[in-house]
Amino acid sequence: MELGLKGKVALVTGAGSQIGFGKTISLTLAKEGCDIAVNDINLEDAKKTVAEVKALGRKAIAIKGDVTKKAEVQEMVKKALAEFGRIDILVNNAGGIHPQGPFLDQKEEVWDKDFNLNIKGAMFCSQAVLPGMIERKYGKIINISSSVPKMAFPGVSTYAMSKSAIYVFTRGLAKSVIKQGITVNSVAPGWAITNFDKSGPPDELIKKFTPNTPIGRGTTTQDIANAVTFLASDVSGDIVGQVICVDGGATMQ
Amino acid sequence: MDLGFKGKVALVTGAGSQIGFGKAIALLLAKEGCDAIVVNDINLDDAQKTVNAVKALGRKAIAIKADITKKSEVQEMVKKALAEYKKIDILANVAGAILGTGPFADQKEELWDKEMALNFKGTMLVTQAVIPGMVAQKYGKIINISSGSVRAAFGVSTYSIAKGAVEIFTHHLAKGVIKDGINVNCVSPGWALTNFIKGDKQEAEKRFLPSTPIGRGTTPEDIANAVAFFASDMSSDVCGQILDVTGGSTL
Repeated sequence: MELGLKGKVALVTGAGSQIGFGKTISLTLAKEGCDIAVNDINLEDAKKTVAEVKALGRKAIAIKGDVTKKAEVQEMVKKALAEFGRIDILVNNAGGIHPQGPFLDQKEEVWDKDFNLNIKGAMFCSQAVLPGMIERKYGKIINISSSVPKMAFPGVSTYAMSKSAIYVFTRGLAKSVIKQGITVNSVAPGWAITNFDKSGPPDELIKKFTPNTPIGRGTTTQDIANAVTFLASDVSGDIVGQVICVDGGATMQ
Repeated sequence: MDLGFKGKVALVTGAGSQIGFGKAIALLLAKEGCDAIVVNDINLDDAQKTVNAVKALGRKAIAIKADITKKSEVQEMVKKALAEYKKIDILANVAGAILGTGPFADQKEELWDKEMALNFKGTMLVTQAVIPGMVAQKYGKIINISSGSVRAAFGVSTYSIAKGAVEIFTHHLAKGVIKDGINVNCVSPGWALTNFIKGDKQEAEKRFLPSTPIGRGTTPEDIANAVAFFASDMSSDVCGQILDVTGGSTL
């Protein structure tokens, strides 16, 4: 299927991890013809992803930036625009879980970290990228949320709360900017063996999560990249403010 | 992106209308590489027109007349399709219609029954007939078409209620068959200038536009694109999802 992504410029945040969603999203978009601005908080990691994008024959730059800091986000977008002239696609992928104990023991600083990284970061990046998209009357924003808000785990998780905020942010922003030619949607991944969940070794996590996953396997980075690529293309132009769960049915408990 | 449709066989119900979703789906699946399309409609001449359009793309196709609300006709249809192409990899449950409306107090039971049968039970009957073959080959993609009207309120409409049931059916069935290698998902369209809108289409457009953030109606191509996404292996981890393709009118 011709996705019309040839020559488009994408900014993917948090794309440094070599086993994460962001890298596979970058590579899949590159295979479809996009040039990529690869952001990560770790520049060396971002450069590794850049090297792989370049190996596919597309242009790429690594930009270090902490998405929780407005000044760094603005600097990042400035650099991307200086390099490529525009940003057509923004994938708000950077995120993380900060471990917490029982609710009564939870520290405000950890709450703030989760909220800052998982929702405020996506808001900063969108705010910085949107003016250019509005000017050109074209843009695709894909927020990576999580299927966790649709499930009920024991305990209070600011990670889950911050990801449910992404659902609401996606819907609200989508309705605000669709008239300007910008579509905003979200992909909600199920559990995956990436750097995300550090609560145990991969083998243990697979054993723990598989019984509750109807498809019988974890979500792969390619599963997520496929859905992001669909939403980044014009074939999904009438899809506005939607959250697609890509989780092998794990949320259908 | 290669959607991996080469060699696949698809059955699309209600694909006779020449301005409807079904035809656009049949053509896109054919264009993207499906080997053969089984085109169902209650009107054989209409189905044959879609078949001709598929064949013009260099793919195989047959027209099968069947009323999907009748179990025996559905079984006959699936038998014919299997006799012709040996398997069905993709089922798009498109057939449906709005048969009437009006104030709740005046609504007739017969109309309720008709709308529920066509928009909900028909989808179940076709799915039930197709699934055994999919289970046997450990591969299948089922895409149900519901309606954005499930998440709107235009008064009591058994059409919308039936489409709500299709969404629940999607959830329940998806979880039941994913282990057999079958993905079930649902596309929920917004208003579109198809035969669903009776009367003056321009007037209908004027009525719907103000509540449609994207500023246009949903097109058959919009729906076909989403169906192709669910019909392909690129979405193999997507299970039991309802995707609104409504230009934001359901937000």
